[in-house]
Parts: sequence; C-alpha cells; structure tokens
Amino acid sequence: MVDLVPPLAIRSALKNARFTAGVFIFATLAALSGCASFMPQTKELGKALPAGLPEEIELTATPFFPQLEYQCGPAALATVLAAGGVKVTADELVPQVYLPERKGSLQVEMLAAARRHGMVSYQLAPRFEDLLREIADGTPVVVLQNLGMFSSGWHYAVAIGYNYERGTLVLRSGTQERDVLPFGVHEIVWMRGGYWAMVAVPPDKIPATADENRWLAAVAALERAGDARSARTAYTTFLGRWPANVNASIGLANAHHTLGDLGEAEAVLRKAATSAPDSVVVLNNLAQTLSDLGRDQEALPFAERAVAAGGPFTAAAQKTRDSIAERLRSKTGGVERLK
Amino acid sequence: MKSSWARMLCRLLMALMIWSPMQLAQAGMIGTDQLVTAPSAADRTTVLEFLGRADVANQLQSLGLDAKNANERVAAMTDAEVQMLAGKINSMPAGADSTGVIILLLLVGAAVWWIWFRR
Repeated sequence: MVDLVPPLAIRSALKNARFTAGVFIFATLAALSGCASFMPQTKELGKALPAGLPEEIELTATPFFPQLEYQCGPAALATVLAAGGVKVTADELVPQVYLPERKGSLQVEMLAAARRHGMVSYQLAPRFEDLLREIADGTPVVVLQNLGMFSSGWHYAVAIGYNYERGTLVLRSGTQERDVLPFGVHEIVWMRGGYWAMVAVPPDKIPATADENRWLAAVAALERAGDARSARTAYTTFLGRWPANVNASIGLANAHHTLGDLGEAEAVLRKAATSAPDSVVVLNNLAQTLSDLGRDQEALPFAERAVAAGGPFTAAAQKTRDSIAERLRSKTGGVERLK
Repeated sequence: MKSSWARMLCRLLMALMIWSPMQLAQAGMIGTDQLVTAPSAADRTTVLEFLGRADVANQLQSLGLDAKNANERVAAMTDAEVQMLAGKINSMPAGADSTGVIILLLLVGAAVWWIWFRR
C-alpha cells in the first residue's frame, strides 16, 4: 500500500500542473478574444428572457443517482428515465450504455438505450433557449459537457432548473445532487460538445421544442427498436398534434399491424388513402394488410395502384402485388381442383 | 488474408442474424423508418445497411461487450445512428468524467460570465 502513494501523488501533482497551465491559457484566450465568442448564446440570453419562459424553475422532484466512477452516462440516463416514470436504476443501465474500454457512454447509445425502456428520445436543437424551454415544460434535459482542459473530460449531466435573474443553471451532475452553474460556464463546457442535449419522454408526451419531422423520426426510431406498443401511443399522440401528417398515419398503421390489430391498421390506412391517394407506401401497406386479412381480391387493386404510382418504393410495391396475385392464383387453382 | 476473410464471413453471418427476424416481421409492409429518413437513404441497398450494423456490433464487442449485448444495443439504433458510428466509435466523445475539474473552471468562467451577464 505504502509504495502506491508516491506515484499517485506525482500523478495528481502533474495533473494539477497541467490543469493550472490549461486555466492560464484559457483565461488568456478569453481575455484576447473579448469573451463574446466564448459564450454567444449566454450573451444573447442576457438581453432578455425569451417569451413564455418563467423567471425561475427547478424540477425538484427529479430523482438523483450519484454516479460511480466513469458512469455518468447510466446515472444521467437513469435520472431522466425515472423522471419520466420508468422504474430503472443507474446500475441497470450500465450494461445498456456503458462501454468498458472507452470508460464512458456514447451519445448515440444514450438515445438508443432510452428507446429500450419505451421512451421516445429526442436530440434538442443546439440552442440554450430550447434547453430552458424543456426545463420550463417539466422535462429534465441530459447535456454533454466537456470539463477537461484539453480533449478528454466528456461528462453527462442533467439540467433540472434555472434562475434567470441570477443567470444560473441547476444540474444533477456526477456526485452532486444540486450543481449550480452560471449560464456562461455551462455554455463554455457545453459548447465543446456541439451543444448536445437530449430528452427522453413517455410516448404520450411531445417535448416543448419538438420539430414535426424530427419528432416523427424519433417516434419511428422507437418503433424500429421494437416497441410497437409504445410507438402506437406515440403516433396517436403525434397525430393529435399534427393530424395531416401521412407518414405518421403510416407509422400508426404499421404499429397496429405489428401488434396484430389488422382491422385498426386497415382503418387508419383507408383514411390516409383518401387524403394521400397517390402514396405508394399507403397503397402498398393497405394492400398487404388486406391480404393478411385474407381479402386478396380486395387487396389487388390497391397493389396495382401502388405499382403504378412509381417512386423509390416501386420494387417493394411490385413484390407485394406479385405475392398477392400469386395467392389469388393458388386460391382459385385450389377451388377449381375441388370442383 | 485468411483472417480478413474470416472477419468478412463473421460480419455476413452477423448481418444475416440481425436481418432475418426483421425480414419476417416486416414482410410486405414498408417500414416507417424508411420513410422518415432522407429519400436517398431509402434507395441504399439493405445488405449494406445491415453490414453497417454488424460492423458497429463488432466494434462494440472489441470495446468490451459480449456479442449478445452488442447486438441488442445496435438493434435499438436507427440506420442513421449506425451510419454515424460505423468506423468512428473511437473518435467519438464518451461521457465519463466526474465533476472534480469544474471548480477551477468555474472560477474562470464566473469571471467572464460576470462581465456579460451581471453588468
């Protein structure tokens, strides 16, 4: 044990020396550049509180999972999932997001792992205002910070509150249950990760800053990850907000189809076919659904229309039509043989 | 030479492994994820995409995961996310560090922030 002490002491001394140098360089650079380029969004926010935001809010009910060594990824993700009602702990998320050899968690995996718990994960636009809007809407936000002086030092924390007058952000971060950072400090460490931020919300909720197309992609990602039940809820919620979105109708029908509710799928697709009569995907999927219901005769005209409409999905549409035609032939063949 | 062939074969087998259950589930239906990605992505051959998945699963394995875990993790990703990771995992940020460092940074940052925000 004793001979372990000197190397550690040297290491920490070196680390401190390097760190001091880093701080010095940083401060010099900051002074030289006149600071503005170091925190452009803080400067913008400093002018006025964006419309519709409260002066101050803190989501105090957000649970806290103090991180173990290197495991801020699982801890941060557990925080937002649990806040959204998922029963999960940081330890349970370690095998889902932590990469042993990298001693950390990748951004993509943070987004992907949330889907495995039936939540829709959404990467926010790289805007400080959006971060505040999500918090004000009651949604804690995972942010990627870089706390190192040079290249390493990536860290996930969860923003849970702010005070505009003081210009401070409140975060669940590492072992600190309530880490208070000035907006500017947060921007400096956040900017280095490209202002990366994500939320994970239950499928019956739409984030305050969600963009129609990007939100649909987020829901489709949940469906693709295999959770058709949650995806169905999310598509239904989506259509409540944006009823004219044909792709969302297709998604809802696909989720119904996966869950075996073929009748529901048919109803959704028929409705979509009236508003988008030339959509290859609507026609193809309606034909396939009718065929799965054993109504090939009824399915064939839709399949023909899908092929005639053309576009990037023509090959798939032709395959659907051919298999329906084949099933019809074998059926009639069977009937004739019986005669 | 031999090992590169073996690796290729492994990837193909993994791709098929990941691919086959999807094929069964999606027969005849055009998936929503194909719709919401860029139109050019829809044209890309499916085999290439699944090789991408196998590739990422392989890389995750080399970073300390077992095969089952790696495949489950890749299965939760979108095609776009897989493309983002393929071949680049080692250069991507992996959030890890604790907050010890922040204290000093805070002092510097606070000074700068004071100038802009509290004035």
